[in-house]
Amino acid sequence: MPALIEARDLSKKYGKHIALDRASFAVEPGRIVGLIGPNGAGKTSALRAILGLTPYEGRLEVLGREPFGNRAALMNDACFIADVAVLPAWLRVEQAVDFVAGTHPRFRRDRALGLLAKTQIAGKRRMRELSKGMKTQVHLALTMAIDAKLLVLDEPTLGLDILARRAFYDALVNDYMDATRTILITTHQVEEVENLLTDVIFIDKARIVLALAVDEIATRYAAVAVTEDKIAAARVEKPFYERRTLGKTVLYFETPDFDKLGSLGDVSTPSVSDLFVAKLSGSAA
Amino acid sequence: MNTYTWLVRREFWENRAIWIVPAAIGAALTLAALFGRVDIAELTSPEQSHAVGGMVLFAFGVTFFAVMNIYATWYLLDCLYADRKDRSVLFWKSLPISDTATVVAKLFTGLIAIPLVYFIAADISTLLMAFIISVRAHSRFGSALWQPDLWLQLQALWLYLIVTTAIWYLPFAGWLLVVSAWAKRAVMLWSILPPLAAYLLERWFFGTHVLGTMLQERTLGYASRAFRYPSDFAWVSTVVGHDTITTPGSVWPLLNPLGFLSSPATWAGVAVGAVLIVGAIQLRLRRTEI
Repeated sequence: MPALIEARDLSKKYGKHIALDRASFAVEPGRIVGLIGPNGAGKTSALRAILGLTPYEGRLEVLGREPFGNRAALMNDACFIADVAVLPAWLRVEQAVDFVAGTHPRFRRDRALGLLAKTQIAGKRRMRELSKGMKTQVHLALTMAIDAKLLVLDEPTLGLDILARRAFYDALVNDYMDATRTILITTHQVEEVENLLTDVIFIDKARIVLALAVDEIATRYAAVAVTEDKIAAARVEKPFYERRTLGKTVLYFETPDFDKLGSLGDVSTPSVSDLFVAKLSGSAA
Repeated sequence: MNTYTWLVRREFWENRAIWIVPAAIGAALTLAALFGRVDIAELTSPEQSHAVGGMVLFAFGVTFFAVMNIYATWYLLDCLYADRKDRSVLFWKSLPISDTATVVAKLFTGLIAIPLVYFIAADISTLLMAFIISVRAHSRFGSALWQPDLWLQLQALWLYLIVTTAIWYLPFAGWLLVVSAWAKRAVMLWSILPPLAAYLLERWFFGTHVLGTMLQERTLGYASRAFRYPSDFAWVSTVVGHDTITTPGSVWPLLNPLGFLSSPATWAGVAVGAVLIVGAIQLRLRRTEI
């Protein structure tokens, strides 16, 4: 199957500031991809380019189209939630449903109404009367009722409390995700999404640091917790990052020799968030 | 309903002032007719009735038309900016609606839909007012406000004004949309300062005032293009009490649609307006953030 998103040397400059520097990556259908990086790393620039919201340099194809200049056509098959706060304050819930139903050929009103019924938010309510969490539920209901191939979420849970965040991701995974869909999520809070991602793209200082499938981590990376006396021996294996924890030091290795590491200490597979910290701190050093 | 209908509908949802303001003016005028003074001089001749009736009806129309112009100007200046200010542009852009359709729908709302709402509001409240006054002051006013030819002229004048001002002032509308799509803040200042600065710079550095003349011609030239004043045109003076009222005998000879549509200035304006509107669309395409 061809990639859903294919970027080659994708760059975005604002005057002299380089927000995205020759990024190359691909997103395959049916995956949940996390575009992860610290604030200001270039995540939003990459998303804006993918969604056709901004011009860019380099090559970019989304669902077989060049996004900029084709946004309207692209939005038939792709949809996005930019941020929880973008539904206008004056809009009533029922107006939002009517408007999307009237303008989006792939919107299923019954599905949206079903999802909204579960939230118990009255149709007459205006967005300004709703809490951030409720607004997110409304936006998610609208978006999940669209039969789109690609869903893009940009920091979707920013400013939400832990209950609302959980509810958001549960709804996404349980009610939305299936083999025909692809989700691209940006976040700077890795812990929140690491259990649902199938792929990660780490981005830092406008560059792609790492792009791989989550199940590749186990074969390509290892974390070894060693005691004080074995640190010197472990360093010979060239860890790219070290972290001191309770009485032990954890060393991170790329393309590790598992037999050798096993003799030094407890070998484990780093979690996505550990790998993120290790990769970004390591590359900074 | 198609996409454009939905887009215009959404403008009415967002800008409830579109109908609240004319409804309020209508209510105020109706109240004035209910409780205001109507003890003017007695109208005895048909000429007097015609003059006074015409004056009252057209004064009502002018009130609505003047407020409408102020509101529509503000609307055009605000509409694209407001989407960026509250960031809802990111929601609208997540739907399969082109930026061209969005900008054209807003232009249509400002130039056609809003004037039509005011026109309808003016008609309804004028009917109410006419009814109230003719009941309250029947002996003095008589049927001064119930003259079919005046009503017909009023309808024609409204529609003629809506269409011709939309065409003539298209460059201004386009400019307001450009500012609305572009400015980071202070849209009002940005709509005025650049033309003013360009005008002053031209005067200082070149000693000419081409731009000033163009702007003046566009602002004031409308009346001489859309209307004509035939040499044999009859103004009618009628003495009512101590006052003399001078009214056009009829507006029909004043309307000049052929002259308007055949004037090069009209189409030069349309061309400039079109360029500015394309510019506004391009800005809307690129600008999502304040």
